[in-house]
Amino acid sequence: MNEKSDSISLPLATIAIIGQPPSALTILATGLCCRTPEILEPFDVKASLPDKSLLPAAMRRRTGLTTRLAVTAATHACQHAGLEPRTMPSVFASVGGEIQVTDSLCRNLADPDGIISPTQFHNSVHNTTVGYWTILHRCHGPSTAIAALDDTFAMGLLEAWNQVQLSCGPLLLVCYDEEWPQYLAPPTGKAALACAFIVAGSNHSGPKITQPRIQQGSGVGEPERTDSRFLFPDSRLETLAKEAPAAAALPLLQAMSGKISCSNIPLNNAGTRWQTDLRFD
Amino acid sequence: MHDVKPAPQHRSIEPVRVTAYSCVSACGEGSQALADHLVHNRSALGRLTLLDLPFDTPVGECRGTLPAVRPDLIAYQCRNARLALAALNNEQDGLRGAVEAARQRFGPARIGVIIGTSTSGLLETEAAYQMLLKEGKMPADFHFLTRHAYQATARFLQNELGLAGPCYAISTACSSSAKALAAGQRLIHNGVCDAVLAGGADSLCRLTLRGFNALELISDQRCKPMDRNRNGINIGEAAALLLLERDGSTEPFRRERNGTDSGCPKGRRQGWRRSNPLLLAGGESSDAHHMSHPHPQGKGAQEAMEMALRQCGLTPESIDYINMHATATRLNDAIEAKAVEALFGDSVPCSATKGITGHTLGAAGALEAIISLLALKGQWIPGTCGLEAPDPAFGCRIAAQPQNDQRLNTVMSNVFGFGGNNISLIFSLGDG
Repeated sequence: MNEKSDSISLPLATIAIIGQPPSALTILATGLCCRTPEILEPFDVKASLPDKSLLPAAMRRRTGLTTRLAVTAATHACQHAGLEPRTMPSVFASVGGEIQVTDSLCRNLADPDGIISPTQFHNSVHNTTVGYWTILHRCHGPSTAIAALDDTFAMGLLEAWNQVQLSCGPLLLVCYDEEWPQYLAPPTGKAALACAFIVAGSNHSGPKITQPRIQQGSGVGEPERTDSRFLFPDSRLETLAKEAPAAAALPLLQAMSGKISCSNIPLNNAGTRWQTDLRFD
Repeated sequence: MHDVKPAPQHRSIEPVRVTAYSCVSACGEGSQALADHLVHNRSALGRLTLLDLPFDTPVGECRGTLPAVRPDLIAYQCRNARLALAALNNEQDGLRGAVEAARQRFGPARIGVIIGTSTSGLLETEAAYQMLLKEGKMPADFHFLTRHAYQATARFLQNELGLAGPCYAISTACSSSAKALAAGQRLIHNGVCDAVLAGGADSLCRLTLRGFNALELISDQRCKPMDRNRNGINIGEAAALLLLERDGSTEPFRRERNGTDSGCPKGRRQGWRRSNPLLLAGGESSDAHHMSHPHPQGKGAQEAMEMALRQCGLTPESIDYINMHATATRLNDAIEAKAVEALFGDSVPCSATKGITGHTLGAAGALEAIISLLALKGQWIPGTCGLEAPDPAFGCRIAAQPQNDQRLNTVMSNVFGFGGNNISLIFSLGDG
C-alpha cells in the first residue's frame, strides 16, 4: 500500500496476495425450478414449479416467465442457505435469456411501422432477470449476465469461482433457460429449467468443488471414482441438457445428493470439455 | 512485497497489461481512425443506410466494406462477427499478430475470449423473422445459435484464432464489454488464463433503434452530451477488442502525479512489455432501483467508481481524466455528473465521446477503454463533441474541446447500463 492511500477516508485499500494457489468453492445451498418437474424424475433431483408469489404484484405484471423461473430457483437457494439475497453478488447464466420477449419483439419489428413496447424493449436485454433480482432484493453489489451456449453452466460456475476468489463471500449463481419457440434452434428450449447455487470460499463448511477446468487430452480425465448415474454418457441426461441447457448442472447436483466425492464431473452436455471435482469434508 | 494483509476481503486484483487493441466504429477501421476523430473533435455520426426506420435519427454506422467470414466458419457469418473480424484484421493495430504471439507463448488453452454484446446477430434474425411471418418458416441458412445467440461472436473469434480457453459472452446491455474486460482481468489474476481477448461488438439493428425510440430516449439531432439542451441518444455500432496479458512484474506499479515512483522496489518491475498500459481495476455495482432509470442519487455509479479505486488502492486524487458514460439523455447525464462531482469535485477533467462515435451499446465499454488508452498514449484529453452550452447544474469539470500536452498517468472510464448495471474501469500508463 502506498503512503497516499493510507491517508484517505475511503474504505480499506487493498493488496493482492500473489502466488496464492486457487482455492475450492464451497456449495452452501442449491435450488431448482422446472415448469415440468416430472422430466427430472429419472435423475433423483427435485424441482419446484415457478412461484409467481415471490414477486410483488407490480413487478409480476412487468416481468415474463423467464424471470419467475429464475427467481424461484434463486429464492429457494437463498432460503436453504439462510442468507439474505441483498448481501450477495450474483451471476446469471442463460443461453437465450428473455427469448420469448425477443421473439415477440422480432414479430413486431417485421412490420416496418410496428410499435415497440418500451417495457418489452427493456425487458428483452439479457440482464433483465438479474436486473429485476437486484431491484427485488436491493442488491447493490456486482451482478452480471453471461451466455456460452452448451458451456453456459460451466462458464457461469467459472465466473462465480473467479469472483469468489477475490471476494470470498457468498455469491448467487443461477443457470436458467425458458421454453423457446421451436423454430429457432430445436431442441434447445424444449423444457424450462433453472438451477441456482449459493457458493462461497473454501473456509465455509460443505461440499467443495475445484476450479472448473478444461479436460486436457485423453486419459487425464479418467474419473477416480465414478457412479455412472450422474455422468453425461447417460443418454437421457444428454438429451435433456440439449433441451434445457441448465440441466448441465444435474451431474453435479446428483453427485452432491449422493454425497460421493468424485473427480471429473462434467459441466457441459458434450461431456468432454469442462469439468470439476467434488469433495466432501 | 510489503504490508500484505491476509484477510481475504482485503485482497485486491493484480493489474494486467493491455498488449494490443483495435476497433472499428463509425470513425473507420483501426484505432488511428478513432484517434483522428478524437483529436479533431469530429463527429462520425450521419444518416442511417443499413436499414429503414419510421423516424429520423443520426447514427454511428460503420461504412466500410467488412471482411467476410472464412468458409469453414460460415455458420458464424453475420454483421457482428464481421465487425469483430475487421478489428482483428487491422494491420496497423496488429491485434491478430499479438494474439498469435500469445498463443505461441502460452498455448491455446491458456487464452480466454470474453466478448460483451447486447444484441449479437439480431440484425440477421430480424430479417429471418420477415420470412418466418411471410412463409411460415425460417430461411435455410438461419443459424440462430452461431449468429444470434449471445456467445456467437466470442465463439467465432475463438475458432478464428484457434484458441481453446474459457469463452463466453457478457450481456448486461451497455456495460457488457467493460465487464468483459473486468472478467478477463479476474481470469488472469486467478491464474486461469495467461491472456484474454476481451472486448465487445454490437451492430445497428431495428430492435435497439426502435426500442430506444419507444423509450423516448433517441434524439433526432446529433447528440449533445452534458449540454443543457441535450435531448437523447444517437445509437452507433462498433467492435472493440483488447488483448490482456499477465504482467511480467509481480507488483502493481504506480507512478504518482509528481512523477516519482511509489512503493514498489525496482527489482520487482523487471517484467517484459513494461511500456504497455495497464488495466488496474474494474469496480462493479448494481443500482437496484429501476430497469431503465438510474438511481436518483447516482448511488450505484458512485459505488462502482469507489470500488474501482479501492481495488487498486488509489484515491480520487490519482485520477487524471474521466471518460464519462454520458449518453446525452436528460437523466443519465445529470446522475453521472452528480456522482462524479460527489467523488472528484471539479478537480478532474472529464469528457464524453458519444457525440463522435454514437452510443455503441454493448461495445461502448471496450471502445471507450480504447479511447482512454489513446488519451494516455497521446497525453491528450478528448473533447465532448456536441457540447455547446454546459448544463449549469453540473459541478464536475467537463472539457468541451480536446486538450493537448496533458500529464496523464491514470484514467477512469465509466459505463452504466440498463438494469442499473454499473462498472468503472481504471487504466494507467506502462512503466517502461
